Amino acid sequence: MTEAEEINGTEVEDDEQDSKQKKSDAKRHDDGAADLERVTDYAEEKEISAANISSAVEQFGNQRNKENELRVAKEKELQKVQVKKEDIELIMNELLVSKSHAEKVLREQSGDVVAALEAIISN
Amino acid sequence: MPSSNPLPPKEGALFRKLLKCYELKQYKNGLKLAKQILSNPKYTEHGETLAMKGLTLNGLGRREEAYKYVRLGLRNDLRSHVCWHVYGLLQRSDKKYDEAIKCYRNALKWEKDNLQILKDLSLLQIQMRDLEGYKETRHHLFTLRPSQQASWIGFAMSYHLLRDYEMANSILETFSQSQTAIEAHDYRHSELLLYQNQILVESERLQQALDHLIKYQGQIVDKLAVLESMGDLYIKLKQHEKAVPIFETLIRRNPENVFYYEQYMLAGQVTEPRAVVAIYRVFQEQYPRALCPRRLPLNIASGAEFRIVADEYLRRGLRKGIPPLFVNVRTLHQVSEKAAIIEKLMLQYYENLTRSGHFSREDADAGAPVEPASALVWTALFLAQHYDYMRDTDSALEYINVAIDHTPTLIELLITKGRIFKHAGDPVEAYVWLEEAQSMDTADRYINSKCAKYMLRGNMVQEAEEICAKFTREGVSAMDNLNEMQCMWFQTECALAYQRMGRWGESLKKCHEVERHFAEIVEDQFDFHTYCMRKMTLRAYVGLLRLEDVLRQHPFYFKAAKCAIEVYIRLYDKPLKSEAAIEEIDIENLPPSELKKLRSKQRKAKKKAELESAQAAQAQVKREQHQKSKQQANQETDPDAPQLDELVADKLERTDEPLEKAIDFLKPLQQLAKDRIETHLLAFEVYYRKNKLLLMLQSIRRARAVDPKHPEVHSCVIRFIKSLASYAKQQQQPLNEHVQQVLDKATEELIGRKTPQQLNDEFIAKHNASIMHLYEGARSLYELDASKKAAAIKLVTSFNLSKMRLEEAVKIYTALRDGDVFGDCENEAAAYQQACHERFQYARIFRNVEELEAQLQEKEAARLRAEEEQQQLNHVDSSEQAVPVLATAAAAS
Repeated sequence: MTEAEEINGTEVEDDEQDSKQKKSDAKRHDDGAADLERVTDYAEEKEISAANISSAVEQFGNQRNKENELRVAKEKELQKVQVKKEDIELIMNELLVSKSHAEKVLREQSGDVVAALEAIISN
Repeated sequence: MPSSNPLPPKEGALFRKLLKCYELKQYKNGLKLAKQILSNPKYTEHGETLAMKGLTLNGLGRREEAYKYVRLGLRNDLRSHVCWHVYGLLQRSDKKYDEAIKCYRNALKWEKDNLQILKDLSLLQIQMRDLEGYKETRHHLFTLRPSQQASWIGFAMSYHLLRDYEMANSILETFSQSQTAIEAHDYRHSELLLYQNQILVESERLQQALDHLIKYQGQIVDKLAVLESMGDLYIKLKQHEKAVPIFETLIRRNPENVFYYEQYMLAGQVTEPRAVVAIYRVFQEQYPRALCPRRLPLNIASGAEFRIVADEYLRRGLRKGIPPLFVNVRTLHQVSEKAAIIEKLMLQYYENLTRSGHFSREDADAGAPVEPASALVWTALFLAQHYDYMRDTDSALEYINVAIDHTPTLIELLITKGRIFKHAGDPVEAYVWLEEAQSMDTADRYINSKCAKYMLRGNMVQEAEEICAKFTREGVSAMDNLNEMQCMWFQTECALAYQRMGRWGESLKKCHEVERHFAEIVEDQFDFHTYCMRKMTLRAYVGLLRLEDVLRQHPFYFKAAKCAIEVYIRLYDKPLKSEAAIEEIDIENLPPSELKKLRSKQRKAKKKAELESAQAAQAQVKREQHQKSKQQANQETDPDAPQLDELVADKLERTDEPLEKAIDFLKPLQQLAKDRIETHLLAFEVYYRKNKLLLMLQSIRRARAVDPKHPEVHSCVIRFIKSLASYAKQQQQPLNEHVQQVLDKATEELIGRKTPQQLNDEFIAKHNASIMHLYEGARSLYELDASKKAAAIKLVTSFNLSKMRLEEAVKIYTALRDGDVFGDCENEAAAYQQACHERFQYARIFRNVEELEAQLQEKEAARLRAEEEQQQLNHVDSSEQAVPVLATAAAAS
C-alpha cells in the first residue's frame, strides 16, 4: 500500500514538472500568436483636408441613386412575373436548390418552368 | 445617447471610460468600471452597462458569463443600439456572422448613423461576401465621413469588387486630387497609386494605366512593381521596343525569374526557336552563375540542337552532383523525342564513365581531365529515375543497385529505390527502403516526411504517426499535433489509407478534419478586413479576397472531398450494421463446433476491445488535459475559438444520411473544380443513388463538356437511361410532365433514337483498342443484361496485358475480385490475378498471400542470420575494426 502511494506521489511531482515544461514550451510556440493579436488593435482614423469634397460626395451620391433606380426597376420587372408556387417547389425538389435560387431563375425565365429547369442543368 | 435609461454625468463618464478600456483591450480595468456603475443602487439593472460587462468578460474568455450578461442587458434595454451592437459583437466573436448581421441591423434601427456599427457591419458583409450590402454600407459611411481617408478607400473598393471599375477609379481619382502635401517615401500613398493602377489594368484601359504609371512613378516606392507592370503594359500596347530595356533591367535584378525571360522574348518579338536559344546563349555569358538561361533553352530547342544544349546541361549537373537533376528535366520527357535523346546521352555517359572516367570517347581521346568519381553515381541514379519514369522497372532497379553498391550511404539512392518499388506497385517494399533511408539521417525532416508518406501508402498509419512524432511538439500526441498544425498532406494520405483498409469512420474523420482546416482558413481572413485597409496594402488584400473565394479549389480539399464522397457512397451502398446487430449474425445456423469457435473469438475480440477502449480512455484523459492546458494558455490570447463537436469515427460511419453528407463535400467541388472531370463523375454517382434524373443529366453534361471521350461518361449515360426507364415503376407515379419534357429533349440529344444496347455495342466496337473504354463497355453490358456476364468478363480479361498500365490492371482486377461490378466471379478473378502477376511481377496486389508470407519469413530469417554473423564478426574483429571500413572503400572504388 505505502509503496504504491509513494509511486503515486512521485508521479504527481513528475506531472507538475511536465506541466511547467509544457507551459514554457507553449509560451515559446505562441510568440507568433501574440504578434498576430496585435493585428486587431484599435487604431485612430486618419483624416484628410475637407476642401472640395462636398461636390464629390454629391456627385457620387447622384451616381448611386441612379444605380439604385436601375436596380429597383429591374427587380420590379422581375417581381411582375407570375410564378406558381408548385413550380418553385418542383425546381427545388428536382434540382436540390434553395428556394430563393429557384424563384430567381424561374422569374428570369418569365415563369416558364421547363426553361428554368433547362437553365439550371445546362450551366 | 438615446437609451431609455440615460446615465447621469458621473456614471456617464465612467461608461465612456469603460468603452475606451474595451477598445484598448484593458479588460480588467473595464470590469472594475462596470462594477462601479452597477454598484449604484439606481443602476444595478442598467442594460448598456450589463451588456458591456458581458462583452468585457468575453474578452477575458469567459464566454458563458458573457452571453448571460449581454442577454440580460439587452432584455433590460431593448431600444438601445449599444446593447444590440454589443450582442452583435459577441455573436461575431462566436463566428455566428448571420446572427451578428441581424443584431447590427437592429442596432442601426435605433441609431442609423452610428459610425462604429456601420463599420462593423461592413466587415461582416465583406466576410460573407454580401457585396451589394457592402457597397450600401460603405456608401453610407462615405456620406457620413467624407473627410476620412478610409471612407474613400472602402467606398472605392466596394465598387471594384463588384467590377464597376469606372466608378472605383473615379472615386480614387477624385480622392487623390483632394489630397495635398505628400511626403516623400509614403508607402501607403504609393500602395494606393498602385492599387488604382491595378483597377485601370483590370478594366482594360491600358493606355490610361500606362500614363498613370508614368505620371506617378516618382511617388511609387515599389520600384519592382512599377517596372513589371510598365513592361507588361508596353507589350500589351504593342510598344515592344520600349519593353525590351525594362526586362533587361529586370533580368539583371533577378536572373532566375523565368517570367522575365519569357516577357523579354515577347518584347523582342523573337519566336523562332533557333533565335531564342541564341539569345539564351548571350544571357549564359552575361550571368554565368544563373540556372535559368541554361535550363530554359531545353524547352525550346529540338532535334540536333536539343542534343547539344541537353548535353551541356546534363554534364554540368552530373559533374556538380545536383541531386534533383532528373526532376528538373522530367517535364521534357513528355516529348518522346526528347526523352529518347536524353536516354541516349545518359547511356553514353554511363558507358564512358565506367570505361575511362570521361563523359564521352572524344574527351578521353583528347586527354581531357577525368570527371569526379561521383559523376558515375549520379549518372546511374539519373538512369534509374529515367527508366522508372518509363515504367521499365527491371532496368531501373539494375541501375539503382549499381549506384547503391558504389555509394551505399547516399540517401537519394535509397529514396529512389523505394520510389521504383512504389511505382511498380509494391508499397511495402517501397516503405522498407524509405525507412532505411530515414534511419541514415534522422534529423532530416524531408526524408522523415517522405518515409511517413510511404508508410501511409502501405496502410501503416500507426508507424507513420510514430515516425512523424520525431518532429512534432513534445508531450502531445503526434496525430493531434499534426491536426493542430493543419498538416494536410499527412491527413489526406491518412484518410486514403483508412479508406483502403475499409476503416470508414477513421477515414471520414480525417476528411472532416481537412474540411475544418479550410473553414478555419476562411475564418482567418476576418482580421485582414481592418488590417489591410489600415495599412493600405490593397493589392494584396484584393488578392486575398479572391484567393479565399476559390480556396476549396486547392488539391488538398479536392483529395479529401473525393475520399469523403467515395466513402459516403460506399456506406450508402453497404450500410454498416449497428453494433448490436453484428453480435447476432446467424448464430442459429451455425453447427456447435463453429459456434464454440465463434464464441471464443468473440471473447478474445471483446477482451481486445476492452483493452483498446481502456487505452483510448487514457488517451482521452490525456487529450482533455492537453485541451485544458491549452485553453488556459489561450484564455488571454484567443477567446474566440469556437468549440466544435468532436469528430467521432463510429458516429461518422453510422450516419443516417450519407448522401447528404456527400453532397456537402461535393458542392464546393462543383463550384470550384468544374474543370476536373472527377467532380462530375462523383456528382453523378451521388445523384444516381438519390434518383434525381435531372441532376444526373446535369452531371453528364458537365462531364462531357470537360472531356466527351472519357470512358466513365459512357457508363453514366447508360445508367442514366436505365434509371429513366425504370423511374415510373420504382416511384409508382409518372414523372412530372415538365420534367419529362426536359428529359426527352436531353436524351434525344445524348443518344438519338438508339437503344442503350445498340449504343453500348457501338461503343465497344469503336473503342476496342482502349482497355478503360472496354471496361466501361463491359460493365454496361452486364448492367443492361445480366445473362451476358461471361461475355462481359471475357471482354476485359482477354485484353492484351502487355499493352496495359499497372493502374488499369489494378482497377480491373479489383472490380473482378470485389464482385460489385460483374457480380460474383471468383475463378475469373483468380485467373486474372495470375495473368497480371506474370505481367507485373513486382505489384503486391497480384501476388499470393502464401507467397508473401513465405517471403516475409525468409526475410526475417535472413535478418536473424545477418545479426548472428554480425555478432560473430564483432567477436572476431573487435581488435581490427578497420576491416569493414576498408571493405566499403573497396566497394566504393
